[in-house]
Amino acid sequence: MLRKKVPRLLQVFKRTSHCDRQQYDVIVVGGGHAGTEAAAAAARVGARTLLVTQKIQTIGALSCNPSLGGIGKGHLVKEVDALDGVCGRAGDWAGIHFSILNRRKGPAVWGPRAQLDRQLYREFIQSDLLSTPRLTVWEGSVEELMVEEPNPEKPGRHQVTGIRLGTPISARSVVLTTGTFLSGSLFVGQTSSPGGRIGDAPSSAGLSHTIRERLGLRTGRLRTGTPPRVVKNSVDVSLAKLHPADLNPTPFSFINTQTRCKPEEQLPCYLTFTTPAVERVVRENLHLNCHIQQDTKGPRYCPSIESRVLRFPGRQHQVWLEPEGLTSDLLYPQGLSTTMPPDVQLRLLREIPALHKAEIHTPGYGVQYDFVCPTQLSPALQVKSTQGLFLAGQINGTTGYEEAAAQGLVAGLNAARSALAMPTVMLSRTESYIGVLIDDLVSRGVTEPYRMFTSRAEFRASLRPDNADLRLTLKGFEELGCVSSERYKEAVRVRDTLQDAMAALQSLSALPHIWKQKLPNIEISENKSGELTCMNLLLYNDVTIEMLASVFPESLSPYMEFSQRLKIEAVYRPHCDLQKREMARIQREETMLLPEDLDYFSLPVSLSQEVREILDRVRPTTLGAATRLEGMTPAATVNLLNYVRFSNRKNKIHNMCLRT
Amino acid sequence: MPLTSLCRGMWRAAVRSMRTSDIRGTPGCRHSSSLDGASVGMADADTIFALSSGHGRCGVAVVRVSGPASPTALSCMAGFRRGLMPPPRTAVLRSITDPHSNEVLDRGLVLWFPGPHSFSGEDSVEFHIHGGPAVITSVLQALGSVPGVRPAEAGEFTRRAFQAGKLDLTEVEGLGDLIHAETEAQRRQALRQMSGDLGRLYQAWSHRMKRCLAHVEAFIDFSEDELIDDGILTEVDRTVAQLQAEMEQHLKDERRGERLRTGVQVVIAGATNAGKSSLLNTLCQRPAAIVSPIPGTTRDVVDTALDIGGFPVLLSDTAGLRDSSDLVEREGIRRAVERLEQADLTLMVVDCSHIPADVQPAASFLREHLHKLMPSDQLPEEDRCLLVLNKTDLIADSQREKLAVGLQSVPGLPPFCLISCQTHQGLTDFLTALHSRVKTLCGNPLSGSPTLTQARHRTHLQRSVAALAQYQRYRDADLALAAEGVRLALTCLGRITGRVGAEEILDIIFKDFCIGK
Repeated sequence: MLRKKVPRLLQVFKRTSHCDRQQYDVIVVGGGHAGTEAAAAAARVGARTLLVTQKIQTIGALSCNPSLGGIGKGHLVKEVDALDGVCGRAGDWAGIHFSILNRRKGPAVWGPRAQLDRQLYREFIQSDLLSTPRLTVWEGSVEELMVEEPNPEKPGRHQVTGIRLGTPISARSVVLTTGTFLSGSLFVGQTSSPGGRIGDAPSSAGLSHTIRERLGLRTGRLRTGTPPRVVKNSVDVSLAKLHPADLNPTPFSFINTQTRCKPEEQLPCYLTFTTPAVERVVRENLHLNCHIQQDTKGPRYCPSIESRVLRFPGRQHQVWLEPEGLTSDLLYPQGLSTTMPPDVQLRLLREIPALHKAEIHTPGYGVQYDFVCPTQLSPALQVKSTQGLFLAGQINGTTGYEEAAAQGLVAGLNAARSALAMPTVMLSRTESYIGVLIDDLVSRGVTEPYRMFTSRAEFRASLRPDNADLRLTLKGFEELGCVSSERYKEAVRVRDTLQDAMAALQSLSALPHIWKQKLPNIEISENKSGELTCMNLLLYNDVTIEMLASVFPESLSPYMEFSQRLKIEAVYRPHCDLQKREMARIQREETMLLPEDLDYFSLPVSLSQEVREILDRVRPTTLGAATRLEGMTPAATVNLLNYVRFSNRKNKIHNMCLRT
Repeated sequence: MPLTSLCRGMWRAAVRSMRTSDIRGTPGCRHSSSLDGASVGMADADTIFALSSGHGRCGVAVVRVSGPASPTALSCMAGFRRGLMPPPRTAVLRSITDPHSNEVLDRGLVLWFPGPHSFSGEDSVEFHIHGGPAVITSVLQALGSVPGVRPAEAGEFTRRAFQAGKLDLTEVEGLGDLIHAETEAQRRQALRQMSGDLGRLYQAWSHRMKRCLAHVEAFIDFSEDELIDDGILTEVDRTVAQLQAEMEQHLKDERRGERLRTGVQVVIAGATNAGKSSLLNTLCQRPAAIVSPIPGTTRDVVDTALDIGGFPVLLSDTAGLRDSSDLVEREGIRRAVERLEQADLTLMVVDCSHIPADVQPAASFLREHLHKLMPSDQLPEEDRCLLVLNKTDLIADSQREKLAVGLQSVPGLPPFCLISCQTHQGLTDFLTALHSRVKTLCGNPLSGSPTLTQARHRTHLQRSVAALAQYQRYRDADLALAAEGVRLALTCLGRITGRVGAEEILDIIFKDFCIGK
């Protein structure tokens, strides 16, 4: 289903540019990974959507590493795709080196990943947005948000009614995905300049001002960085270890059976290591590095080469040399993120054997930027105190394309639903990594850029990359309204086929000695009494669906399309069943909503002052989120639970009285 | 039959059945599937149980069970046949048995509350049993062995009742406070235990498990891109195996819990004719041992089960310690010494008519006497020994007073009591001292709820060990599922030591590894 598209963005731009007083359902500010998913999702839900970005050319730009997916992040890409998002399909189009990480560690933690061609990725995203109905793209710099008095019938202290882009443009919902541009500063050596990405203008100070002063949102400051881009010809890859792609590229998207890049056309990566001399260069030049000297929180993972050698001295550190594209003459040295002055960067690079003659095309740099403390958001990614305002991506304190895309989708989806007078929706941490990500953000907040890891998901055995469609596509169509009917039909077919196949596997059985005869290479204990079903057999490591199909060709051949998924399902099913109870408990508590405007200090229930303060600070949206707060006691949970039930009942009675 | 012996019988039965249920791999409850799917309301919830009556010693204790497996618990512990439940909400007198061994644990009332007409709104069962800690423990232990049934967490009953919409606001206010108090008490109790050796042990396990999990998680999340040595997994393998072994060992000989179940081993020792057998007979209020003025009358160990203030005690009378040429007596003395080595508490009986009149010589005499009777390396620690100065009827009251006051300030002597088995003089004080010793040795069940706590701890520890086995099982085939095992083990242990969140694991990862991609 890979489609070749011709970018026609400019035409659209011209068509819409002369309209001034416009009214949209949803306006998305920013064209990065969060913004593009948000705009696309809002339009899919049915909202008239406007995407505003500083430069149309940079829509879908990969500001940092030229890759998508990975461990934990690959889960997010699969889930965004299952909800009909853009990034998975774009990855399949632009990928030039596909591999499944963790292949030997169990399917629950497989990490689908691809190196991308930057240009192809941008082109795909741009043309996909272009062909999305109801979506308009506009180039410009947002001056400020239009803020008005709140709608008194809903909770919140303010209401955002649109943006000012020279002239005001009104919308029912606004999604901000400004990435590192909110009061962003760029750092190289001892110099710093305002901006969110090298080569782009800084965003207007008005936006930061509106957020902090007018809306009174709490913000914090984070930093990140990117390595220098190296001229490919100047690198001696023979001194690095070749790292080929998978022989058979696995697409990200559930609707793709193959990638655009042919297996043999894939480009390799290279692995090399730092030397003690690199550490020496870093140490000798620390005084020239003001980014690293400041105490703004950077990530503990993906740190700069400076922090790596300072925190783990005397070691070799890995450096991956990654292709930037099929025709690009640059390499991306993953692991060498640095904010040293450019001449020091060059000296540092050349201390690595494979890079001893390296030329730098663009120096590495650091970015410091404001983020909005995400505990001020609801699980729908709406600002709790401000009607009509949604946030997604780095503005919420996360890092990574995939994390941004996941939030963008949820924010866009809810912005549209809210604009179209539908209730907002949330994804539970029991059903998706997206849910884990958002629940962590809104109920715990961040102290460093938040990145997804599989260890964050407590139901990892159930939330696998392979079953993201079953978990989300059906719900995405039936409840959320962000999935096309074609994709839905396919997911239904997959679900039904898998169910049939599982039933068949459960019903097909034979006595142990028969199995032993048919599958002589498998160590089946003949002491087992009774018949063994195909499901039992699949629990053996070496038994595949293909083997079973050789024993029961007629019954199983219709399902060979899903042989790998069936094997995984069979192995994980007992573990998933075990998790179901705990998941059900969490889900029950997540359906119990706590009113957004609850005054915890005057709540007439027995709660300690400490608990009241915690609840007031975080303002959990559901009882489930409340129970996960640190410092909540069982007694407090019980009291809160009862309050919710009691007040619901009271409201119902109240409403009934009003009606009669 | 006198009531004491009835109770003793019950207690013994309980002990036997608990021993049986401790054996791993006993077949599941035979009736376990009899009522599958018969539950009302939250069909997927666990079934929980707890002691619902007040803690401590009481005439009747109520153990409540709530959840879909309640009928299973009732049918397999109160002998109701498949599907034939007693009439709802009607008290029925039954023998309550261990589901595995079928030993009778107690005879008491059982009530069956089909949901939603129950406190929690779920299928519920109540066991009204005798209030002794041993009976309560045995019933709770037996319930814990019914498949699908586990000890309730703090506030869980009430939580379920709320979820079923069973309580109104006023009730909640009260109950909320109650649960709060309960949790507070549990927290204090946990803290008390945590500051002891047991707490240190569990914390150390928890810490090691945390590191194991962090290292497996680091390997899962980062080893593809980072320099993470495969050796860390070998290290984890080793630690997991060690943890398993240590925890299994601990579950096997967790002495305090064991003492409560099998009784505190109290051994009466001393020179011949000090009045050891008289003490035994006095304590059990019947002539269990032959008493005569002839030295060396008791030649074998005489055991009697006793209830001292609600605690089971196994009291042993032993042969008098002396050099003897009599073969039979020498064997008796060997057995006495052997028993002394295993004793939780030694009652060292001394004939006080042999003690010098003045305090200092008396103290030296007692010290020497103790050393003579037992080699110094076998002398019990001070808190494991009680010096019983018997036969106060043979000395003058003034002399008794002098000893009682004077010996108190003498260092290096075990605590002592002056009694007369003949006249029962000083017996009350002695019993009080004995009771407090036994109580300490049993882990003081009267404060807080050790029976409950112990049953809960035991369940969590057992689950934790079982979860570690999952790591071993999947180590090579599927590291994600193996990690799941460690995570589960940590969660189970965390119910004792405190919750371990994902962030804590990440903290360890980033401290131990350089993650750069």
